[in-house]
Amino acid sequence: MTLDSSKASGGIVPVLLLQLFAASSGFAVPARRGHYDLLLTSGYRREWIALMHWWTSIAPGIATWLMLAAVEVVASRGLRTTLLASGTCAAMTLVSTLPWALTTRLPRFSGGIGWLLVLATSTTVVSVAPAIPATTDSFDPATLVRSAWSFLIYPPTFVGHSLSPEQIAAVAPALTLAVAAMVLACRWIVRASVPLEAAQ
Amino acid sequence: MIPLAISVRDLAVRYGRRLVFHNVSFDIAAGQSLGVIGPNGSGKTTLLRLLAGCLTPAAGDIRIGGLPPREALRRTGVAYFAGDATLPGSVRACHWGNLGNGDSVTPDRRPIRALSRGTRQLLGLRTVLGRHPLGLIVLDEPWEALDRDAGLWLSTMLETKRDRGSAVVLSSHRLHDLAGISDCYLFLLPHEARLMRAHEIAPTGSVTAAQLADVFDKLRGGAASFRAVS
Repeated sequence: MTLDSSKASGGIVPVLLLQLFAASSGFAVPARRGHYDLLLTSGYRREWIALMHWWTSIAPGIATWLMLAAVEVVASRGLRTTLLASGTCAAMTLVSTLPWALTTRLPRFSGGIGWLLVLATSTTVVSVAPAIPATTDSFDPATLVRSAWSFLIYPPTFVGHSLSPEQIAAVAPALTLAVAAMVLACRWIVRASVPLEAAQ
Repeated sequence: MIPLAISVRDLAVRYGRRLVFHNVSFDIAAGQSLGVIGPNGSGKTTLLRLLAGCLTPAAGDIRIGGLPPREALRRTGVAYFAGDATLPGSVRACHWGNLGNGDSVTPDRRPIRALSRGTRQLLGLRTVLGRHPLGLIVLDEPWEALDRDAGLWLSTMLETKRDRGSAVVLSSHRLHDLAGISDCYLFLLPHEARLMRAHEIAPTGSVTAAQLADVFDKLRGGAASFRAVS
């Protein structure tokens, strides 16, 4: 068996898609079944409970990503670090945050399923190939918007890229949306009233 | 452990448009136990979840040791268990048992869903009651599915915790179990909630299940359906 480090960035795509589903863990449904009662009455702050729930959802995917990155670095003797490139980090951040936040009040995996539906319908309209090359001489707002949309619906768009300033501008809106969604999801968990399904 | 008194004022809860109960008020001193009695759907589980800080009332105020329930949770240990159906079936019994205070409750490595109902109930109870210190114990139908030995263990455990200063709130349809342990009783009816001290029900001696059933029947207008299950 041989290790081809040049194909590492392709290997991360399934991990990103699986992370999309792993992060879509859903909080409200198991909470309404009483599964989190022990945690909710433990005295921990709800903010911590929300963050613990998020972390336990994404930790396996993060560990797999870091393990693949370590294999790539070792196999290429330190010459290739595409799995730790800023584009890959941005993609992993997006698939680890936005699906969790969007699925907080929904059933498990619904965020991942919804995302795939949006991707499947959007690819007929917008190309998911990286629209902005690594270096550009001119700034084109239309290309920027298309790239931002591409990254939002298909996070592996910039996998393996060290992001240029234009590419950073393309990933920034999706990451900002993810952070805002995380904040809203945490606030919802903090304030949530959790009745038992059977008691309603 | 901080001894906790519970004060509930004009509590009301709604699920959507449905009013579960309203104008529920009572006070429980530290080291006392309250038995909540009511027909199915009267809001017993909802009331207990309010006390445990899992729910927010539509109106009214709850103070536990002078604090709102969620703040009280941070100050002192609270044991809340709403029955074996609330345990996640995929988790191993031994792992769940460690979540109380870190001590092993059971060496059983089977998933919770593979356990019998009574064993699941006992696992949940032992896990939450293993917390230390415990200022407040809130248990929903705790004797459900337990065999005689486990039921006796639970009653003894609750009496011990109460005598050490824990406030205890229990709901159960098993009136003979409640009668033996509660200092006061909250009768939760569709349009009325009535708190009665043990000496008001049984001026001499301890309260019996038959006396509780009589009071309950009188409060709900003479219907005797509750006696049939007690």
